[in-house]
Amino acid sequence: MSRIVVRDVDAGYGAVRVLHGVSIEIRQGETVALLGTNGNGKSTLIKCIMGIVRPAAGEIFLDSDGTRIDLTTKSTEEIVGLGIALVPEGRRLFPKLTVEENLLLGAYRTAARGDIERNLAFGFEAFPVLRERRRQLAGNMSGGEQQMLAVARALMSSPRILLVDEPSVGLAPILVSRVIAKIKELKDRHDLTVLMAEQNFNQATKIADRGYIIVHGRIEFEGQSTQQLRDHELVKKYYLGV
Amino acid sequence: MVAGLLLGGFYAAVSLGVSLIFGLLDIANIAQPAFVILGSYAAYVMNSSFGLDPILTGLLFTPVFYFLGAVVYRLYYGSFERRGDESLRGLVFFFGVLFIIEVSLSLKYGVDYRLVDAAYIGKSIDLGGVGIAFRLLVPCLVGLAMTLALHLFLSRTFYGRAVMAVSQDRLALRLMGADPVQIKTIAFGVGIAAASLAGALLITIAPVVPSTDRDYIGRMFAITVLGGMGSVAGTLVAAVILGVAESLMATFFGPSWSLAVSFGILLVVLAVRPAGLFGR
Repeated sequence: MSRIVVRDVDAGYGAVRVLHGVSIEIRQGETVALLGTNGNGKSTLIKCIMGIVRPAAGEIFLDSDGTRIDLTTKSTEEIVGLGIALVPEGRRLFPKLTVEENLLLGAYRTAARGDIERNLAFGFEAFPVLRERRRQLAGNMSGGEQQMLAVARALMSSPRILLVDEPSVGLAPILVSRVIAKIKELKDRHDLTVLMAEQNFNQATKIADRGYIIVHGRIEFEGQSTQQLRDHELVKKYYLGV
Repeated sequence: MVAGLLLGGFYAAVSLGVSLIFGLLDIANIAQPAFVILGSYAAYVMNSSFGLDPILTGLLFTPVFYFLGAVVYRLYYGSFERRGDESLRGLVFFFGVLFIIEVSLSLKYGVDYRLVDAAYIGKSIDLGGVGIAFRLLVPCLVGLAMTLALHLFLSRTFYGRAVMAVSQDRLALRLMGADPVQIKTIAFGVGIAAASLAGALLITIAPVVPSTDRDYIGRMFAITVLGGMGSVAGTLVAAVILGVAESLMATFFGPSWSLAVSFGILLVVLAVRPAGLFGR
């Protein structure tokens, strides 16, 4: 059993406070959606979990089989080492390395090195285009292919928990559907726990078990099911144009 | 021509450190030739005091140079890179390091030419009418072995691949679970360790004075840029091109022109193909 708990977190950049008392929880085996339009603090929250942004107040910990591991004092590398992987916003591939080199770097984590063959085979099976382009430079691929590579690269680290930040940005709707469906498929197969930050409500709720709505750095609503989310007035107001 | 080819293998050995540190890490380490000369003097001291083979000395000293490189990088990182003002001040820092090494060597060993002695120096082999001196052949072969070793390190190991990625996106590398500072420290150490061997090769080929480093700054950077920043195969090809071009120049126009070749190549490459031959 492992879960990530974020409790009463305040965070920001310099004098600008972005998150105000945010609490969320991601439990084993769940797919949790973090919904919000641009500039509401989704990415900042994800960066806090990954140790890229340090919270000013509150706690973030990984509860791993009853052992509580404080993430706010760990470096990003150590957090990755615990089995938490991030598909970052903007993909952040290594553009001048080949597809294969990008994937192999994903397996840098010591615990993942033994699984390279298996993970590589999974990645190529899930995204066959990556196999075809394995010798191509990542920077020369299309946006959709790059997003697939970013997801496959994160999975190379054999994570238990996968964080995905805005997979839909810059992609055509059909590609968004495909990438999101793949995340679901991979989640089921690898027994992953997923937190997905997304502004595209309809896409995110296709695969989410439940979700949070974040507005101006505060969790305004916690939906226990996608139906609850869909029925909520904030969603109607911001997303569905009702 | 043959001498030029052999020289190329040696030039590759000398340039690998720059290719790694400047080409892949984006650190303008102009002190690299001074580390090479330091390697030459290490070989000289061990040779004149204990009669140790210069190339063996170069190999034995690689851990010392690795450590030295790691310390220099940590100093550079703490003083400049962490604060984000590395470009110009870093250049001055490495110029300072170059100067310190050169002056220290001058003070300790004077400005006389120093050379080493080994069984194979002075001998040569006759290949189809072309005499090949061992003092050129051995450095060339060692240079090729070093090139291959660096290529394997970069392409086959996790550390190596991280070294190739570190200047492209530091945060993304951290998300892979690698510490960029650790990776750069390792790469810098390897680059300086290569200077230990390169220095031993240099003093095997010709006598050395502390200011010999100045002859190599231009060559190293010209080879790195021509090869395509950070490409190991490119470094080797560029080194051979430069070696051949220099010996042709020396044959037809006189040896004093050979130094102009590297800067000429540097200018032409930057104007015509800034990415270099094998640039990604």
